[in-house]
Amino acid sequence: MNYNLNKPATVKGVSNYTAFKGLLRLISHEKSKLAVALLATIGTSGLNLLGPLLTAYAIDTYVMQKQYHGVLVYSGILLAVYFASFGINYLQTKLMGTVGQRTLYTLRNAVFHKLQQLPVAFFNQNKAGDLISRVNNDTDKLNQFFSQSLMQFVGSIISMTGAGIFLFSLNVKLGAVALIPALLSLIFTRLLSPWVKKKNAANLKTVGGLSAEIQESLSNFKVVVAFGRRDYFMQRFNEANEKNYTSATAMGIANNVFMPFYSLMASLAQLMILAYGVYLISTGSFTIGLLVSYIAYANYFYSPLRQLAALWANFQTAMAGWERISEILVLENNMGTIETHARQEGAPLLEMQQVHFGYTEDREILHNINLRLEQGKTYALVGPTGGGKTTTASLIARLYDPVKGNVLLDGKDIRSYNAAERTRRIGFILQDPILFTGTVRENILYGNEEYENYTNDQLEEVLRAANLEKLLGLFEKGLETPVQSAGEGVSLGQKQLIAFMRAVLRKPDLLILDEATANIDTVTEKLLGEILDKLPATTTRVIIAHRLNTIENADEIFFVNDGAVTNAGSFHQVVDQLMHGNKN
Amino acid sequence: MKQPSGKEKKPSGIFTLLRPYKGLITLLVLFALMGNSLNLWLPKIIGQGIDDFSHGHFVYKPLIIKFGLAALLIFVFTYLQNIIQTYASEKVAKNLRERLAEKISRQSYAWMEQSNPSRLLTNLTADVDSIKLFVSQAIVSLVSSIFIIIGASILLLTIDWKLALVVIAAIPIMGTAFFFVLKKVRTLFMKSREIMDRLNKVINESILGAALINVVNAQQREYEKFLDANGKALDFGLSILKLFAGLIPVIVFTANMTGLAILALGGRFVIDGSMTIGDFAAFNSYLTLLIFPILVIGFMSNVIAQATASYQRISGVLHSPDMLETGSLVKNLEGDITCEHVSLSYGEKPVLKDISFSVKAGSKIAIIGPTAAGKTQLLYLLMRLIKPDEGTIRMDGEDIAAYESESFHQQVGFVFQDSVVFNMSVRENIAFSDVVTDASLEKAITTAEVKEFTDQLPEKLSTTVSERGTSLSGGQKQRLMLARALALNPKILLLDDFTARVDTRTERKILANVHRNYPDLTLVSVTQKIGAVTHYDQIILLMQGEMIAAGTHEELMEKSPDYVQIFNSQQSTSNYELQS
Repeated sequence: MNYNLNKPATVKGVSNYTAFKGLLRLISHEKSKLAVALLATIGTSGLNLLGPLLTAYAIDTYVMQKQYHGVLVYSGILLAVYFASFGINYLQTKLMGTVGQRTLYTLRNAVFHKLQQLPVAFFNQNKAGDLISRVNNDTDKLNQFFSQSLMQFVGSIISMTGAGIFLFSLNVKLGAVALIPALLSLIFTRLLSPWVKKKNAANLKTVGGLSAEIQESLSNFKVVVAFGRRDYFMQRFNEANEKNYTSATAMGIANNVFMPFYSLMASLAQLMILAYGVYLISTGSFTIGLLVSYIAYANYFYSPLRQLAALWANFQTAMAGWERISEILVLENNMGTIETHARQEGAPLLEMQQVHFGYTEDREILHNINLRLEQGKTYALVGPTGGGKTTTASLIARLYDPVKGNVLLDGKDIRSYNAAERTRRIGFILQDPILFTGTVRENILYGNEEYENYTNDQLEEVLRAANLEKLLGLFEKGLETPVQSAGEGVSLGQKQLIAFMRAVLRKPDLLILDEATANIDTVTEKLLGEILDKLPATTTRVIIAHRLNTIENADEIFFVNDGAVTNAGSFHQVVDQLMHGNKN
Repeated sequence: MKQPSGKEKKPSGIFTLLRPYKGLITLLVLFALMGNSLNLWLPKIIGQGIDDFSHGHFVYKPLIIKFGLAALLIFVFTYLQNIIQTYASEKVAKNLRERLAEKISRQSYAWMEQSNPSRLLTNLTADVDSIKLFVSQAIVSLVSSIFIIIGASILLLTIDWKLALVVIAAIPIMGTAFFFVLKKVRTLFMKSREIMDRLNKVINESILGAALINVVNAQQREYEKFLDANGKALDFGLSILKLFAGLIPVIVFTANMTGLAILALGGRFVIDGSMTIGDFAAFNSYLTLLIFPILVIGFMSNVIAQATASYQRISGVLHSPDMLETGSLVKNLEGDITCEHVSLSYGEKPVLKDISFSVKAGSKIAIIGPTAAGKTQLLYLLMRLIKPDEGTIRMDGEDIAAYESESFHQQVGFVFQDSVVFNMSVRENIAFSDVVTDASLEKAITTAEVKEFTDQLPEKLSTTVSERGTSLSGGQKQRLMLARALALNPKILLLDDFTARVDTRTERKILANVHRNYPDLTLVSVTQKIGAVTHYDQIILLMQGEMIAAGTHEELMEKSPDYVQIFNSQQSTSNYELQS
């Protein structure tokens, strides 16, 4: 399955409308807050208009007639209005901001949650930096729109509609003329919006690219230093930076195209009203006084329209961000759980039946694999690098599904087990040990609910029972030794020890070790061997290793080469094969 | 050689950042002011037209020309202003990123280890973006707002200074509110940025650890970790919001109150005859003119606060001292290595204690020892990735710190324990240096037996590979790493557990190739397998940072019980390996 976000298989232009609908669905639980915020917006706009009206009235009637008492009364009323507007204004800003922040929160959670549901293949096809940019940057674009623009947007549309109706009710013909430029702006907007959105999308993509580049360079910094290639670091960075600059400038120019045009249209409207108004007056159906106020009213229509121009650009950015987020949200994990009760009798713990697999469609890695793993036995997979050992192991643990054929766990299709059940039964120590920043304790209990609430003493007891205490002794502060996900504070061998403890503590029925001890010294390795020997008699072990001593005690050895798995026979035969390449 | 452009400035305000862009900013402000003043002219033209009409000498043509011209000019000025605004802000952002990257690139590996890459990522993205927003939105608004406020204040003062003082008295109140909020909000912004770093880290770790998360079914746990960080981000966002949600109504309210004061006081003045009604009307209309820019400043204070916080973070990186001291010695290495009483610790934890040994040019030395003995660190010291706390490392008799960095690294090849693959073609990954020639590339590829697996790739050596891509197996990546080091045609080759992931047969073939094709190479090999190094000139046994023993295989077998123990642990298999 294609999970590459930057090379989507289905290129489909989503209209603003459908995209916006999808977005609204996601924040539907904020409906009541949005409604209150909307009311508050209308309230603020109303009160904002009321203030000047009252002031004007007070001046006209009381100041002019020198009745100071009336002035004071109106001042009192104004004070009340201003207090009310203070409260509502606070409410509106706060509610809208809260909706924005909560939307950001919900969106980020949704994206991250989706990321957690996607299979390993997804992460192999996408760059960390780009994903980070989608989770952090693109969601923030939506937040900005919600917290800053949405209410202004609504407010502007309300004022515009009101002013528009007013213009028509005063004089239909003049109203029609006054709104022609607005129609032109609308057409202009419709024509240009796709282009503007494209520029926005292109820019967000380069932001993702820049982020990916930085991420990669920073994590590979030691090679950059060791090979004296700081210039390379700069060159790659500059390229991404330049790309971002170009696309951002193009986006800025596109986003800013609306505002000047809308202003021009607003001016045009004034001119047209004047010209047509003069004509109307000359035909005797209009008066100068009305024309003067009509021009002023037209401003009530065009000022919010101008504001819309700026907001519209924000909207385009938000939609482009939303599109990038949706690209993740619409992805489906193609490795769901299937319903089946079919169970083969007398089946081994795990069986691979005529399994074919390739990471990409055009290149098959494993060809027709048949494998039976019995309970309690130890198996070894040997063979040259790149032969398909890790891939075979990954299929046993269902990191991927076969393209053809079946993997059966206890005689039942492995796809019919839910993730919790499957991972409880199958343990997999990966070739590259993975640590999370934290302590040794947190890392060996990672994903282990059983011991999560144990005290350190209790946990040490458990470790002792599992013969792991000696390994823990290799860490100077025991369970509380701090470790980092990256960096050299912990050696690769130590990381492998932690991964080993983590897997053993989970007590799986089937334990896969993929070169799990490759960087551990041979003395400690012996210790690990003893621990493996002391696992419950029912535990099946699958060991991938290059060191022959680690596979010496295997019950059965498989030779994996060129994507084919063959029974290798006795240990001596295997050694012969590996050392001298005598395959037959 | 590049000299650090060390203009050591004290961390300065965000406005100093704009100094190099004076020209652009001036132009920007100029266009904005021109557009705005022309905008004030439009109503006048219309008014004049109406006046003309009521006086009966209305002519369409000059009016339309005048008006059209003004409208077009406004269009041009606004668009130009917008373009310059975009251009200036993007330019500032781009250059700032460049400066940051340049600074980072000149740092040592140790610095990178200390500073948090997730934080650097936020610095280069979100932090720079806030500054960009500041340039594109805040500057024009601020300048024109201040312009209008000053202008309107002067006008007010000329009309009636007593009333004007009432209005102007409101400014310190608003100023205090701004000051109070900005002061509080800055720390909040700083903290919310730190949460952003944390989010980056959680996402990053969950991506790198995707396979493990799948294997132990820890999706929920990762999600909770993220929820926790994201929840904190939400809390900070809401606290910041609370402050601004308070600030803006306070500003509006204060402005409204001055309006009210004018009505009450001015009304009084008009009634008792000390002020004309015309002045009063003018006063009121200028007051409305004054309020809008104050509001704009209120909104912009958010952008400014955020940009200031971001700039403070960025300055932290920009002003961190250049740790990379480059020596200037350029010399062709022979390959003699001496370590004299070298010690190293990480924090309080000693990693290497008083290590001394020497290696003759062209000889082969192995370093063995248990996990976490300090083997990798010793190689890092030799590679100059880190500096010893005590002691000296010499190559050809010179302190390695004296060598010019680039030429030094071009003569010392390093094969890291974990594979680092760049997202580019296999060939580019191997030819990762300027000094690689076609011949040296070819030789490296043959020696590391790279073709054996690249021939199966769709585009052979030109196939693009990636770090987490599934295109290469662990052993193949390690061979690629070896080829990368060999392509330098190095005098000294440092191998860090190179053979761990490579099958025995290929390993032997490759090592034999290395010995044959690079006969003069000084080889320092960290390894777990004694069998492969028994014929080496020297074997050093490291345990917990201490050099337990050194000598040839035979010598160590005689005098070091620890060595014998390791040797015995490998016996069962070494037998087979030794047979052939």
